[in-house]
Amino acid sequence: MKKNILGIMALFAVVFLFTALKNDSFLNAYNLQNLIKWSCLYGLIGLGVSFVIITGGIDLSIGSVIGLVASLLALLLSKGRDPSTCIALVLALSAGIGLMHGLLITKVKLQPFVVTLCGLLFYRGIARYITDNQSMGFSGHDTLDSIFSGKVAVSSQFALPAPFFYLVVVAVVAALFLNRTVWGRYLFALGNNETAARYSGIDTDSLKILAYVACSLLTGLAGVLFAFELNSVQPASTGEFYELYTIAAAVLGGCSLRGGEGSVLGVIIAAAVIRLLYNSINMLGISTHLEYAIIGAVILAGVTVDELVKRYAAARRTRQQAE
Amino acid sequence: MKSFLVSASLAASLLLLSSCNPSGDDPKTGGAKKPKIAYVTNGVDPFWDLCAGGVRHAEKALGIECEVHMPNKGLVDQQRILETLLAKGISGIAVSPIDADNQTAFLNDAAKQTKLITQDADAPKSARLCYIGTDNYKAGRALGKLVKEALPGGGEVMIFVGRLEQLNARQRRQGVIDELLDRPSQSATDVKFDPVAGAIKGERFTVLDTRTDDFDKARAKSNAEDAMTKHENLACMVGLFAYNPPACLDAVKEAGKTGKIKICGFDEQDAALAGIKEGTVHGTISQQPWKYGYESVRVLKQILDGDKQAVPENRFLEIPFLVVTKANIDEFWAEKRRMEALGKQP
Amino acid sequence: MADVAPTALLQARQLTKQFPGVRALRGVSLTLHRGEVLAVIGETGAGKSTLMKILAGVQSPDSGEILVGGKPVRLPSVRAAQRLGIALIHQELNLADNLDIGANLFLGREPGRGGWIDHASIRAGAREQLDRVGLKESPDTLVGTLPIGRQQLVEIAKALSSQARILIMDEPTSSLSRHETDTLFHVVRDLRSQGLGVIYISHRLGEVKALADRVVVLRDGENAGEMDRAAIVPEAMVRLMVGRDLSQFYVRQPQQPGDVVLEVDRLRTPAHPGRELSFQVRAGEVVALAGLVGAGRTELLQTLFGITPALGGQVRVRGRVQRLRNASDAIGAGMALAPEDRKQHGLVLPMSVRENASLPSLRRDQRRGLLNRAAEELVARRTVDQLGVKTPGLDQAVQNLSGGNQQKIVLGKWLALDPHLLLLDEPTRGIDVGAKREIYRLMDGLAARGVAVLFASSEMEEVLGMADRVLVMHEGRLAGELPRARLTEEALMQLATGGASDSGFTA
Repeated sequence: MKKNILGIMALFAVVFLFTALKNDSFLNAYNLQNLIKWSCLYGLIGLGVSFVIITGGIDLSIGSVIGLVASLLALLLSKGRDPSTCIALVLALSAGIGLMHGLLITKVKLQPFVVTLCGLLFYRGIARYITDNQSMGFSGHDTLDSIFSGKVAVSSQFALPAPFFYLVVVAVVAALFLNRTVWGRYLFALGNNETAARYSGIDTDSLKILAYVACSLLTGLAGVLFAFELNSVQPASTGEFYELYTIAAAVLGGCSLRGGEGSVLGVIIAAAVIRLLYNSINMLGISTHLEYAIIGAVILAGVTVDELVKRYAAARRTRQQAE
Repeated sequence: MKSFLVSASLAASLLLLSSCNPSGDDPKTGGAKKPKIAYVTNGVDPFWDLCAGGVRHAEKALGIECEVHMPNKGLVDQQRILETLLAKGISGIAVSPIDADNQTAFLNDAAKQTKLITQDADAPKSARLCYIGTDNYKAGRALGKLVKEALPGGGEVMIFVGRLEQLNARQRRQGVIDELLDRPSQSATDVKFDPVAGAIKGERFTVLDTRTDDFDKARAKSNAEDAMTKHENLACMVGLFAYNPPACLDAVKEAGKTGKIKICGFDEQDAALAGIKEGTVHGTISQQPWKYGYESVRVLKQILDGDKQAVPENRFLEIPFLVVTKANIDEFWAEKRRMEALGKQP
Repeated sequence: MADVAPTALLQARQLTKQFPGVRALRGVSLTLHRGEVLAVIGETGAGKSTLMKILAGVQSPDSGEILVGGKPVRLPSVRAAQRLGIALIHQELNLADNLDIGANLFLGREPGRGGWIDHASIRAGAREQLDRVGLKESPDTLVGTLPIGRQQLVEIAKALSSQARILIMDEPTSSLSRHETDTLFHVVRDLRSQGLGVIYISHRLGEVKALADRVVVLRDGENAGEMDRAAIVPEAMVRLMVGRDLSQFYVRQPQQPGDVVLEVDRLRTPAHPGRELSFQVRAGEVVALAGLVGAGRTELLQTLFGITPALGGQVRVRGRVQRLRNASDAIGAGMALAPEDRKQHGLVLPMSVRENASLPSLRRDQRRGLLNRAAEELVARRTVDQLGVKTPGLDQAVQNLSGGNQQKIVLGKWLALDPHLLLLDEPTRGIDVGAKREIYRLMDGLAARGVAVLFASSEMEEVLGMADRVLVMHEGRLAGELPRARLTEEALMQLATGGASDSGFTA
C-alpha cells in the first residue's frame, strides 16, 4: 500500500513542478487556493466511493445524488425554511439513499452496479421533477455561504477555503476508521474475501450497508459544498459524470475495483492530481479540446505503472524465496 | 433485445406524452374542426420553458391551441413524439430538429402530412416551410460591441463556452472575434472560423483563448479562476452559454476583482441579470426565447389561415436578439418573469 | 529409472518446480509406456497435481526435461501439449454446461469454413468418439443435463477426438458413484488395449490396485518409490507415501470423555431437509464424521456453524440451547470451524499472517472499537510459535505460504478464541506430511485440554487413526456410529455405502 502512495505522490510532484516551472503565476496564492478548493471538493466524494470500492462494490449514483441534494437544498431554502434544518434534512436524505442502496445490495442481493445505475437515473429525474428543471440560486444565505464556501485567512496572503477543513476532518476520521478500528479491518477483509470474513464471524452485511451510507453521506456533504460554491444549481447537469472522476480518483489512489484495497491519502492525492491536471492544462494554455485525452492518458499511465511495480515486487519476492 | 428497446422507448414516449399534455385527448378542446398545432423542442431546458411562455402567450393572443412537447431522451424520443403527432393528424408542427442532416428524410415525410416549420435549429435540406431562428453570428458581433463598450480602451479578452462542437457556439464565438478585431462582417451561412488554440491578436483587443467546460458549472467556474491566474491583465470575460456569465461572475467576485474584470455574455440567467442590475455584469445578449414560441405559433397560424405573406421569400424568419444592459434591465427582467410563469403552466 | 525404453511414450526427467513458499517438485522423473496405466500416488501436497500440470503444458518446470516418443520437447502451453497428443482430464471438468456434447468435443477447432460451423461433421465425429467411451447419448444433448460420471466420459471423448495418445487423469473418480466408476474403469482398460498410455492420479488405493500396471509414489515433491503390478498392495503404498509406519503417524491418546459439549437434536439441514440428525460430542473427545462425497458432512458442519442455518431441530452447546443464525452466533456459543475450502472460506489470502490470525479475536481484544495492536501481535505470534508456522514474518501475505502453513493459520485464528467445540472439515486436505502430523498432534492436545473436536474427513486412514468415535453419514442421515473398539475399515465402509461393501473408499 505504501508503494501506491509513493507512485501517486510522484505523479503529483512531477505535474506540479512541471507546471510551476513553465508558468510563473501557477504558484501564486490565488491559484493554490483554487487548486486546494477543487481538490478537496472532489476528494470528499473520492473518499466516499473508496469505502464502497473497498467492499468490492461501486457507486454510480454519486453525480445524481449531488444534483438531487443541491436541487432540494435550493428548493427548501427558496421556500424560506430554517437553513440548519434544510442542511440536516438533505444530509439525512443522502444517508437514507446510502442505506437503501446497502439494503438492496445485501438483503435483496442485487448487484451494486445495477442498484446504483438505477439510482443514477432515478435521483436525476427526481431532482429535475421537484425543481421543474429550473436553475435555482443560493443568494441571500450569507451565513451558510461562509460556512460552506468561505475562506479562513492564515496569513495576509493566503486563505484556506472551507472545503479544506471538511476534507481534513473527514480524512482523519476515515483514516482512523480504516486503519485503526476493528471495523476498518473487517471492511478490508470482507473486500478481499467476503466468504472468509463471514466464516470468521463478521457481520458482512452491516459493514457493507455502512460503506454505502458513508459514501452517500459524504456525497451529500459534497453536494451541499458544491451548491454553495457554485451559488446555483442546474437540476439536469449539476454533478453529472462526477462518479466517473471519483471512481478514477479512487482507482488512481490505490483502490482496486476487485475490492479489499484502498488508502485515504492515496485517494485524496489522486483527486488532487486530476484537479491539478485541469489547472495545469489551463495554465499551460493547452487546447481545451485535449483535456480529456490528457487526463485519460495520465490516469491510465498511473495505474499501468502501479500494476507493473506491483508485479515487479512480487517477482522479486518469489526470487528471494527461491534462493 | 432490440424489440425490448423499441417497446421500452415506445412505452416511455407514451408516458411522456400523457404527462406532458394531460389535456391532449380531452374531447372538449380537441374538436376535429379546430386546427391544432404542436411545438416540439430538442430537449428539456429552462430555455424551452421561456419559449413555452411565448407559445402560451400566442395561444391567447391569436386564439389557437398548441401542444408543447419536450423530448428528454434525445433523437429517438423526438422522432416518436413527431410520429405520434402525425398519427393524431396534427395541423402544424414547429420543431427544433436534434440532428437535422440525418432527420431530413423523416422531416420530408412529415412535411407531406402537415405544415412543418423549424425553429431554433434548421434542417435546410428538408422540405420545411420556413425556419425561425437567430443569426448567431450577428448576435456574436453584437456581443463584441458590448465588449467594446465595456472596454473602450481595448484589452485582453477570454471566451468561455460549454462545447464548441455546436454550430451556434462557433458562430457566436466567431462573431465576437470578428467584431473585436474589426474584421468585415461575414455571411451567416458561410462563416470562416478561427482555430481554437492560441491567442488571436488585434489592434486594440486580444482574444487570449477559448475554454470549454462540457456544461459542468464547476468547471466553468474553475476555468474562469484559472484564466485570472494565468492572465494578470485579463480585462473581460465573455460567456457564450447561459450559465457562463454567472460562473464568471462568481469567480471574479471571489477573487475580489469586481469591476476590474468586465463580464459580458449570452442569455438571461437570473444571476446574470442580477449582475447587470448591480453593475457587476456589463451586459448580455438575449435571444428572447419567448419570441421563438410566439413567432412559431403565429407563423403556423398564418399558414393554416392561407396567408401567402406568412413565409418570407428566403424561408428564414429572423428573431431579433436584444441587447440587455443597465439601461433596460428592469423591463426585460419583468418580461422574462412573466414568460417564465406562463411557460410553467401546463 | 529405465533409460529410453523402446516403448516409452512419455518420459519426464528431473523435473523441478518452485512456488512462492513451497518447493513443489524436486527432481521428479517418470516413464510411461504404450498400452500402460501408470498410477501416480502420494499424499495431497506431494506434488502430483503440479507434475501433471507440467506434463499437460499448464505450467512450465523450472528445470528438467520432458521427452515424447524419445524426443525432447517443450510444452509452453496446453495447446502445445495437445499437439503432441497429451490430454489432461482435470479434477474439475472443463466442459461448457450450456453447450451440447458435439460443440464441447470440437470447442476451439470446429470443422467448417469461413466461420460457418459444419454441424453434420461435428455430429458424425462426436458419435464416433462417444462410441469409444461407451456413451449412448446423442451429440445434441446438453452437457449440463448429464450426470457427472457421463460428463467425465465426454471429457475423455473430447481428449480422444483431439488424437490424444497420452491421457492424464487427475482424481477422475472423486465425484463418481460406484457404478460410474466401474464404467470409467472399463473405458480406461479399453483405451489401454488400444495402445494409449494413461497416467492415473488417485489417492484411492483400492482403485489403484484394481487398475494400475505400475505405480509411481511421490512424497514431498520427490520420487519415493515405484511398484510393479505384482507388488501393488495398499500397505506398501501407504508406507511409501507417508514415509513411516502408520502407528507412529497418528498421535491419538483417548481419554475418559467429560461433559457433553455439543448436543444435536433432530437437526435438519437445508442440504437434506428430509433427514433429522441427532448426536452428541463430549469434552475431550475426538469424533470423526465419515461418509462418501455428498453424504452431507460439510453441510452439517456449516449448519452447526450458522453458515447455512438449520431448518429445524435443536442445538445445545454446554447445555444451553443456541440460535445459530450466522457464524457470529456460533462463535458466541464457543464454536470454531476450520472450513474445507481453506482459500475461499478460511483465509483472506492477500492479507498478512497477522491480520488473518487475529481476525476473529479482534472484536474481543478491541479497545472502544480501536484495534489493539499489542493483542493482535500476541495472537499472531502465538499462532506462529505454537503451531510452528513457517513464514518469513507476520506481515507476509498468507497467499505466499504453503497449504500446511495456511491451514495452521486457520486453526490458530480459532484457537485464540479458546473454543469449547472445534469443527474441522477435511483438516489435512492438500497439506504436506509434516504439517499433517502437527495438526494431528494439535487435535490430540486440544482434546486433552477438554476441547470437543468434531472433524469431517474423506481419508480412511485419518479417521481410523484419530477418531475416538466415528459418526458415519450416508445420503444426509446418520447411518451409524462406531466406537473406537469396533472401528474397522470394513465396518465403516459398510455404513458409509448404506450397507453394500466397497473397496473403493479412500485410503
